[in-house]
Amino acid sequence: MSAAPGQYGEIFDRGYRHYDGPRLGQAQAIWALARYSVARALGMRRPWTAKIIPMLLYAAVSIPVLIAIGIRAFFPAFEFLSYPEFFGAIFLLVGIFVALIAPEMMSSDRHDGLLPLYFSRPIGRSPYVLAKLLATGLLTLSMSLLPAVVLWLGNGLLAPEPLPAMRAGLDDLGRIVVAGTMIAFYLGAIGLLISSFTGRKSVAVGVIILGFVLSESLSVAILQAFRDRPDLARWSMVVSPSRTIATLVGQLFGEPDLGADVPLNAVLGVMAAVIAICCAVMFAWYQRRD
Amino acid sequence: MRGEAADALSIETAGLVKRYGTVVALDHVDLAVPRAAVGLLGPNGAGKSTLLKILLGLSRPSGGSARVLGRDAVVDGRELRMRVGYMPETDTLPDNATAADFVTHMAEMSGVPRRAARQRAADVLYQVGLDEERYRLVKGFSTGMKQRVKLAQAIVHDPELVFLDEPTNGLDPLGREEMLELISRIHQQLGILVVLSSHILDDVERVCDYVVVLDGGQVVASQPLHVPDDDTADLHVRVDGDPGPFLKRLEELGLATRPAGIEYTSDEFVVARDGDRSLDAIRDAAAMTGSPLRLLRPAKRTLEELYVDSVGAGANGAPGRRRVSKR
Repeated sequence: MSAAPGQYGEIFDRGYRHYDGPRLGQAQAIWALARYSVARALGMRRPWTAKIIPMLLYAAVSIPVLIAIGIRAFFPAFEFLSYPEFFGAIFLLVGIFVALIAPEMMSSDRHDGLLPLYFSRPIGRSPYVLAKLLATGLLTLSMSLLPAVVLWLGNGLLAPEPLPAMRAGLDDLGRIVVAGTMIAFYLGAIGLLISSFTGRKSVAVGVIILGFVLSESLSVAILQAFRDRPDLARWSMVVSPSRTIATLVGQLFGEPDLGADVPLNAVLGVMAAVIAICCAVMFAWYQRRD
Repeated sequence: MRGEAADALSIETAGLVKRYGTVVALDHVDLAVPRAAVGLLGPNGAGKSTLLKILLGLSRPSGGSARVLGRDAVVDGRELRMRVGYMPETDTLPDNATAADFVTHMAEMSGVPRRAARQRAADVLYQVGLDEERYRLVKGFSTGMKQRVKLAQAIVHDPELVFLDEPTNGLDPLGREEMLELISRIHQQLGILVVLSSHILDDVERVCDYVVVLDGGQVVASQPLHVPDDDTADLHVRVDGDPGPFLKRLEELGLATRPAGIEYTSDEFVVARDGDRSLDAIRDAAAMTGSPLRLLRPAKRTLEELYVDSVGAGANGAPGRRRVSKR
């Protein structure tokens, strides 16, 4: 006796089916790679141990902002965390964050031998680097820009008259966006460049952190060497990411005591040049073929 | 296969040269390979992987041209890579990703939309026998399972042609058997053209119907593997009882004979072909000596013979390297 159709469920034919749907272009491939890289760098769909450090760093950046907003809510006259203070405080955390994610972006693909697989796909070499830049930029922005924007929103919304306060603070928002974006891409580009030369994540992390430390020492050494020539000595900040960022924040927010006495346009030019050089070297490096 | 005339070529190269400094990896390679399951054979260092890299657009040739599926591998590289898949020889999987995530990602990298990519990944992992394990991390997989994931990512975007570089590397006999069956199925049932690069003759013999042999960067053989009705091949014969009188009679009729070799039964012999008269002479010798003729067929030239002859001679008659693996 045969069972009635559907009584025990259905039998599906799982034979191979050819794909005749749409095939999207390079922009989709770049976005897919950037999204996948972001997820892997944050430890998504990976063991919990891979999530700990990124989450701790996010917490370290977010907690002062939340505290500042909380204090603002209860003690409106008391300013706990100014924007220059915020950027000064998070530089180290963003640096560590970059040292953590950049090797995950570049070194892991080398280590796992994924480059031949990617380059045998339509994406190609330059778009690959572009996707990694995009992923690193987005992630670093979430550390350098997003909390600052939240702080700005908190300050605005908790003001006695929120809308006028926010309207008045639009200049600050512009400065926050410039500072956050430049810091993200500046540190991200340096981290990616270093990571793109090695397949060993630990080596990349070490070199990035050591590079930041040594560059600071080098900057101080140059400063001392040219102490009789302050017009030259101030440019020693070029070799130090921390002093470059401090200079940017100081010039942007009108606190010339921070960093070196270098005009805003000049420091923006220096940062843009560093980003461009890092990108150019990476693009050239990844164009190498056997 | 799909969408193309059966007589179209899958791979064409003309004067293809690849140099690494002073080392010539490919030396004026001319190929016209039909749309078939193609075996790419050669000893280590023969230029197989270099040829694959050029065909995939991963490496630029130093000279000459290469076309795959009618497209220039250098000029139309991006378009071409949408239509081909690649399973590299080396370990190329992220340890801390699940098979499903990774294969889905590779489908997206080939332009398949996200939702369809997930579905394709599930289907293809099922096809390669990893349905149950697809949500496990790759680092917990055996070598055989990793090879299957590599194969899955190579076909997830439904390519017309897939390049497989040493797909049975590191597999135990059972794993190798299963991998070869999978590759056969990919070609015969799924209709995907296969280019199988290997130094293992049995792998190529079991899966492919066309073979290209490289040695020292040169093509030393490019031909179908199984030639039906070869009327120039030597003849295999077997007779019941004592073959002595029968063989003696053949010698008297001017035909040379020799034992067929250890892979055949001990009473099987090879009679050298001497034009059209060979068959008549065998018939006459059997009738005259009263030897019942039990077997008479053209001797197949085995892939091993082809390989040893080709690689041994080299394209310029130079002694070749005989790093042949016969499993």
